[in-house]
Amino acid sequence: MVEIVEEPAGKDKRKIFRVKKEDLLPAMKSFYDQGYDHLSLITGIDRRDKIEVVYHLYSFQKNEYIVVKTETLNDTVPSVTSIWQSADWDEREQYDMLGITFEGHPDLRRILLPEGWSGYPLRKNYDLSKVQFVNMDEEGNDYASFDPGDGW
Amino acid sequence: MNTAKPLNKYVELNMGPQHPSTHGVLRLKLLLDGETVKRVEPVIGYLHRNAEKICELDYYCDSLLYFDRMDYVNSLSMEAGYLEAAEKLLGIEPPERAKWIRTVMAELSRIASHLVWAGAYGLDLGMLTPFFYVFDLREQLLNIFTEASGSRLLTNYMSIGGVYQDFNDKIVYMIKDFIKTFPKKLEEVFNLFVKNDIFISRTKGIGILEKDIAISYGVTGPMLRASGVEYDVRKAEPYLMYDKVNFDIPVSYTKDCLGRFLVRYEEMRQSVKIVKQAIDKIPDGPYFNPKAKKSLMIRLRGEGEAYGRTESSKGEFGVYIVGDGTVKPYRVRVRSPTFKNLSVLRELGKDVMIADLVAISGSIDLVFGEVDR
Repeated sequence: MVEIVEEPAGKDKRKIFRVKKEDLLPAMKSFYDQGYDHLSLITGIDRRDKIEVVYHLYSFQKNEYIVVKTETLNDTVPSVTSIWQSADWDEREQYDMLGITFEGHPDLRRILLPEGWSGYPLRKNYDLSKVQFVNMDEEGNDYASFDPGDGW
Repeated sequence: MNTAKPLNKYVELNMGPQHPSTHGVLRLKLLLDGETVKRVEPVIGYLHRNAEKICELDYYCDSLLYFDRMDYVNSLSMEAGYLEAAEKLLGIEPPERAKWIRTVMAELSRIASHLVWAGAYGLDLGMLTPFFYVFDLREQLLNIFTEASGSRLLTNYMSIGGVYQDFNDKIVYMIKDFIKTFPKKLEEVFNLFVKNDIFISRTKGIGILEKDIAISYGVTGPMLRASGVEYDVRKAEPYLMYDKVNFDIPVSYTKDCLGRFLVRYEEMRQSVKIVKQAIDKIPDGPYFNPKAKKSLMIRLRGEGEAYGRTESSKGEFGVYIVGDGTVKPYRVRVRSPTFKNLSVLRELGKDVMIADLVAISGSIDLVFGEVDR
């Protein structure tokens, strides 16, 4: 049985549901069957001790917007690309920015940053003082080099 | 580099990142069979600045200027989108006059954005003349923005709790003058497009986007409305003063590039309709909420979370802000409409000619400041 807990609404007065990571896929499937056919946004939030993943869903028939939240301790979440195509690039972006591994994603690569980038910029422990340059070696692979100076 | 090995008869071609018809720095990896595109893979990120991280490091009021730089042809709508979320989170309600002023400016900005798109789309398809006409029209709008805010493109006009400067008689006169002459001039430009046989034959029936694919890929805005879904955030969840003005949502059922052109054209006319009503309805009163006075603004603290969504000229623009009770946001996430609209190019670009691919990617209305953020 899928456990979906409703939480008090946020300041935007949208319904918030919380599901366990293991139940995410069946829960999302049930939301999709209820008519939430538009996955608007996937957000990863670094809560320092855990990663929270937030999904914003919209239903064209009901004209209703809901928020589904889940959290993970080991940076892996099941991918929802099998339900919504739009999850593809969103999950790639969250992988790029926060290092969340979406299990079952067909093509999980960095999307905005180059392949050779080191670190995940939206992590709270990302070192901003380190300046990176991404170069290409002779085989065409990216690698990052670091500025030995003070950075900014 | 590619995941699938191409067969010998296919040729891999790299289009962009510096290409005149990709509207910025878009790189398309194409797999060609003769002149037919078999597979297209957009590569993005060349204009990436990570605005989301910069917003985390700044005060709530300072983040606003990074939103100007996202969709730089439509900066006033971007500001309205950020404030929709930020003001909910901070609990500051702008006075009614400010809301009306924002509505007017956001609509004028939408017209400016669609004009630039129409001109650039003409260039994509080999028409030079409309470009000069639309930029002449847009110049009038930029003069209005300059009069109101002091700058042409990156206006930074709205701020938390209201707008930066009040409307004076001159601005109101300029806007009224503009909406009086604009529809007729727009029709001239429109005729330059639709009475041109080459334009029609290059857009009609090209780039068919089915409704279910569009919904599954999260496509919004004129792209979705051209596929026959009547969805507009201004109607679905009215923000600012859109529930107090009359306007229609244009929908096209042809699903092709011509449909997208017609939807945007009609949207400009509807925007004029909105501005015409709104400019007379602006009430007297303060244009700024005193709770968010300029000197107090950096002390605003936000706690909880808020998601605000608005209809920018490209689609549903959403901002999700999570606060932790300090003067800086804990996490800012931007739902950029073109990012989602571009991802559907993989579907649209299958089995089309290269020349049609230019027409299709142009019809998405790409602005790379927003895709890459």
